[in-house]
Amino acid sequence: MNTDARRYVIIVFFLLVGSIYTIRLFYMQVIDDSWTLRAQEIAEKRQQITPPRGVFFDRRGKKIVANKTYFNLMMREANMSEKFDTNAFAKLIGWSPMKVKSRFWEIKLGEGRYKNPHTGKTTSNYQKIRSYPFVKEMSMEEMANIAPYLHNFPGFYEEITSMRSYPYANAANILGYLSEVNGEEITKDHFYRAGDNIGRAGLERFYENELRGIKGIHYVVTSALNNEIEPYANGEYDTVAKQGPALHLGVDIVLQAYGEKLMKNKRGCIVAIEPSTGEVLALVSAPTFDPNLFVGKRSISKNYSKLITDPAKPLYPRPLSAEYPPGSTFKLIQALTALQEGVIRPETGFPCTKSMVGCHNHPHARNVAEAVQYSCNPYFYYTVKKIIQQGKRKKVTEDAPIGLAKWTKYMKSFGFGVRLETDITGIRSGLIPDPAYYDKWYGHNAWAFSTIRSNSIGQGEVKATPLQLANLAAILANRGWYITPHFVKSIGSKGPKDIYKQKHYTLINRKHFDPVIEGMRRVVNEKGGTGSQARIKDIIVCGKTGTVQNPQGEDHSVFIAFAPMYKPKIAIAIFIENAGFGGTWAAPIANLMMEKYLKKKITDKEKEKHILESDLD
Amino acid sequence: MFFALKIFILENMKRDESIIGNIDWGLFIVFLVMIFMGVANVYSAAFNPKHPELFDFSQKYGKQIMWVGISLFLGLMVFLIEASIYRKFAIPIYLFCLVLLVIVLFMPSVNGAHAWLGIGSLGIQPAEFAKIGTAIALASYINSINVKQQNVNTVVVANIILLIPMALILLQPDAGTFVVFTGFLFVMYREGITYDPIVLHLVNLIPGVRFKSTWVGSHFIPILFVVVFLSIITLLMSDNTIHFFLFPGVDIPGFYGVIGALMSMGIITYFLLRFFASKRERNRITMIVVIGFVLCSLIASIVNFGFQGLKKHQKDRIELFLGLIKDPNGLDYNRNRAMAAVGSGGFFGKGYGNASVASVESNHVPESETDFIFCPLAEEWGFFGSFVLICLFMFMLFRIVQIAERQKSRFNRVYAYCVAMILFYHFAVNIGMDIGFAPVIGIPLPFFSYGGSSMMSFSVMMFVLLKLDSQRGDVLG
Repeated sequence: MNTDARRYVIIVFFLLVGSIYTIRLFYMQVIDDSWTLRAQEIAEKRQQITPPRGVFFDRRGKKIVANKTYFNLMMREANMSEKFDTNAFAKLIGWSPMKVKSRFWEIKLGEGRYKNPHTGKTTSNYQKIRSYPFVKEMSMEEMANIAPYLHNFPGFYEEITSMRSYPYANAANILGYLSEVNGEEITKDHFYRAGDNIGRAGLERFYENELRGIKGIHYVVTSALNNEIEPYANGEYDTVAKQGPALHLGVDIVLQAYGEKLMKNKRGCIVAIEPSTGEVLALVSAPTFDPNLFVGKRSISKNYSKLITDPAKPLYPRPLSAEYPPGSTFKLIQALTALQEGVIRPETGFPCTKSMVGCHNHPHARNVAEAVQYSCNPYFYYTVKKIIQQGKRKKVTEDAPIGLAKWTKYMKSFGFGVRLETDITGIRSGLIPDPAYYDKWYGHNAWAFSTIRSNSIGQGEVKATPLQLANLAAILANRGWYITPHFVKSIGSKGPKDIYKQKHYTLINRKHFDPVIEGMRRVVNEKGGTGSQARIKDIIVCGKTGTVQNPQGEDHSVFIAFAPMYKPKIAIAIFIENAGFGGTWAAPIANLMMEKYLKKKITDKEKEKHILESDLD
Repeated sequence: MFFALKIFILENMKRDESIIGNIDWGLFIVFLVMIFMGVANVYSAAFNPKHPELFDFSQKYGKQIMWVGISLFLGLMVFLIEASIYRKFAIPIYLFCLVLLVIVLFMPSVNGAHAWLGIGSLGIQPAEFAKIGTAIALASYINSINVKQQNVNTVVVANIILLIPMALILLQPDAGTFVVFTGFLFVMYREGITYDPIVLHLVNLIPGVRFKSTWVGSHFIPILFVVVFLSIITLLMSDNTIHFFLFPGVDIPGFYGVIGALMSMGIITYFLLRFFASKRERNRITMIVVIGFVLCSLIASIVNFGFQGLKKHQKDRIELFLGLIKDPNGLDYNRNRAMAAVGSGGFFGKGYGNASVASVESNHVPESETDFIFCPLAEEWGFFGSFVLICLFMFMLFRIVQIAERQKSRFNRVYAYCVAMILFYHFAVNIGMDIGFAPVIGIPLPFFSYGGSSMMSFSVMMFVLLKLDSQRGDVLG
């Protein structure tokens, strides 16, 4: 049997395998790029570099929110030695060995937890080769005690992180705070990854997109043990992290701190605005808290529950969210509206009859200015009645809706009953009832002015936030316009947002303001005025007191003012809960605040002492 | 003793001064090129930035150079030894290898296998040398018998020569080298020692049947391998869809792709052979091609539809073996990383020393300097480098077959075929596992993988071949 031809069988075998392998390699390496993607997935990692957040400056350039370096004590199980000494480690970080062990389990079961968005199943994707923060947010001092001994515990290392610090322990309700993002936020915005911080309230939340800056991306080649080997392509595709721009606030931190000091042991708010720009100078919510209590996960978890359960609600931003009846301060815009509508003239007088509505004892108001000065309830009862019941229809119930609709429009032009576009979270709009509102309550054409008369003196259904009252003071100071109150006068060097350059005009003519403002001058500066406590030497203060009836308890004390009368620099609203007559508590606080701002010093030390020592809580 | 050796060498040199002239330079140069490429590749695959010196003997590249040096020295020794000595001492060499294979079973296990003789990195793997010993023994046995009158006895003895070392190797266990030994079956096939006597014996048991030979029995080995190879390819393609990048949208099921490939291969073979074959042979060739195509398609269909008809868990088991299960971080970790490294190479690769998946620091591909040495090469040199490597191996294999066929001595021819088959198996399995065509069994890529035993055994094997070939004239047969 000749087997020589069989050599070809073998040669064909070689050729077959050689050519199939060549084709396969050509397909894998040149045509199909799925293996290239797989290789990238395996060997390349994107490392995100989180830049420090933008910082905050007050109106005088003082840094009020800064970044401070903290340390996370990281753990990577793959690097840990077999003879890890739990007791020694616990001693080093000042924990109990039990706590160290339970923290291990917490990380293994909790930190790597991952919810599959498709199946909804929660699984732990804890990996030994990943790093997890074992102790979060240690201060530089804490870390300094541990760092020299860390080499005894392989697998543990320090990682720098940045957190907020507040050189002034004030303005917590304005600034807000940071905390870790939750799963929902990560899914919604791909900017965030687990462990990132996000603004939770106040300006931190409102300006989140600016403050967080731009993340840098560092591409690295990584090993099977997830170690970084080298920058990918020598860093050609890397992007640099960019810190968010600094926010320059209109807030005067000294005034803010002073306001918080004055409001100690009281409940209520102070809102001060620069009328010409709409910049908020101070926004005090009392009681308040130290923003440094909300720095880092550890202190948030320690302090949050305490503050949230406090019956005085320190976390509640009263100036923005609390809706009170505006009380007598509301009379100012009733007078303006009536003048604009032509239902009264500056010289119009009404006798203080007290038949329809009560009043205190004062001479009859002979004109608008005196009516404001005495805060005469009957005067404004008649005035608003003339606005609402203009006699366009015979039946009062048909006439009132027409008048009220008009009135509503006026009120809203002052920023009442609308949501001010202020750059902070927690803004409420208050309430200005319109015809539909009463139709719902009483039925169509089933109500008239007599039904809704309480609104004329700022009681009844109307509600306003202290911010809206401060804005009213600013409108009066500006004689007819306002710029939406806002905190940030410049994002970096870009200036404020465009909406804060825009003047909003009320529906009132400039000339109608003079008699009302004259009344406000008299409130403070003339005998028989209700706000004489607000008087400042050498500066003409214009103000208006208010005493808000409170069915739950003592009346609220309200005062709005601006100063000086000409070229006003500050407009202010004070709201003290359960403090009684507006002139007694709110007016002196307004006085101190305005003097502090305008003169930088307090002349009436007695008054200051009296306020500081009063406990109205 | 050294003196005696010197005398012996000098005597030899005097006697045959034409050795240098008789060397097959083509094979020798390919061998040297491969060794050079291999060292360069190990240098990249095992590069340690703390020891950048190529000749740093604490590093794998330094050691590999040392092994190359030792191998070349051994090669020189082989050259100076009279070629006939291998035939004369075939049985002692074979027995010595078997003894080593037995001893190694009592050595401490390294990575779960009793494969190493000696201490640490200076150890050797007897299985590597057993290949040479078995090749020589097989060559000696086939040389000694008259195979034209083959019978059951010769087939059994030849198989026993293979089965003893194979059994010992399986005890280590070393599945890779075990598989390589099946390559000797092709050598036996070439020499006419097939399973035909056994098949005949069985067939002729049927009353009234009296065959002199059976086609299936004679060509049992290649048929078996065609069936296995075709089945694996069919299984790999069974659940796949082939996309033609030139005609997007034209997707055909993998099975029809296999049938189509078979058909085109048949047509090409038919025309090629028609072109070369004489008129007389044409009809026969047409018959063979047509029957071959029908049979192959039949096998592919049975495998394909049989596989499709299997239950889920049965399919899973087969797919896991074939590496089709997408479990990239679990059971399929090695292959997945290896294929990613190879597949990410592109046409010209990432550049020498720039592997990111198969580099030693990243360590994504385990054993990237030994069993997965093709990965750094394919990643750094791309398709270009891979193709060059395949061409080199193809050249080497064809050259060895050519050398084998020009031998007058049957011993030499059998030995040469053994070398060709061993190299082919190492090449096919080693690269096959990096491209998803072979299960992951660890065997080195000749002349490329790091390691003293494989470097020395392949070199000695090659030099023995060169030596036998250089003295092909004065062998009596």
